[in-house]
Amino acid sequence: MKRGKNQEIFAEKLPRMVAPEARQLRKQAGDWLKQRRADAGLSQADLAARLGLKYYTFISQVENGFSRVPTETMAAWATELGLEPAAFAKHLLLYYEPELHRLLFGAKK
Amino acid sequence: MSVIAFERQQSAGLWSETELNTIVAALSAAIVPGNGRGWETAMTEKGDAQFYLLGPLPDQACELCVSRIGGRYILEDGLGRLLFEHRSLALVALHAKAAVRSTRWSLAARAVLLWCAIRNTIHDKVEPLLTESEELLVQLTPQLAAFA
Repeated sequence: MKRGKNQEIFAEKLPRMVAPEARQLRKQAGDWLKQRRADAGLSQADLAARLGLKYYTFISQVENGFSRVPTETMAAWATELGLEPAAFAKHLLLYYEPELHRLLFGAKK
Repeated sequence: MSVIAFERQQSAGLWSETELNTIVAALSAAIVPGNGRGWETAMTEKGDAQFYLLGPLPDQACELCVSRIGGRYILEDGLGRLLFEHRSLALVALHAKAAVRSTRWSLAARAVLLWCAIRNTIHDKVEPLLTESEELLVQLTPQLAAFA
């Protein structure tokens, strides 16, 4: 999965932002999810099909760090990846809401 | 004999300049320099191109995503909801533009709704209190004047 952060053609035409912490954490979450999917032996398309998605593009969107796993589908993602839903949600909270994770569970990453 | 050159439609790999131009032009109103919104491109694990319209800082989460799979363009929002799909990128770009506009309108509608709710609360709760105290003052003033 390549992240063509700056396609040369438009690199100078429009301004880009320095990745803030929220984006970096989402990317870390994406990398973690990608690893869990690989451990489960699934492709992005396999996971999308199991989650009932027509296209696998949203899986890529999440793994590339541009979106989050929606709360309402976290249990389904966990199940398909062979993980315990509560532990899965708790781990994602570490990336998506680090302050809330710290308040609830004490320790920082 | 004259030959008309048709541009070959890209079906895999990175976005072509024409494709990017089409999407960015459609979303130009959303990608105004200074509002913190931007865009990025990436690839799926199968090498299909994706374009992400990012929201404002600090979160910069994906608001819209256009992907190209086998010559078909897919428009999704940041929650993975499929908004539109077609072989024509121009048509998909138009839908993307409309989707951004509807997001803005929904924010404006929420602001108006909030303002109406605040005005309503003032009308229902605060105004009766003011009227009541005004009436009390009218009744008390002659008595206070008599004492004085």
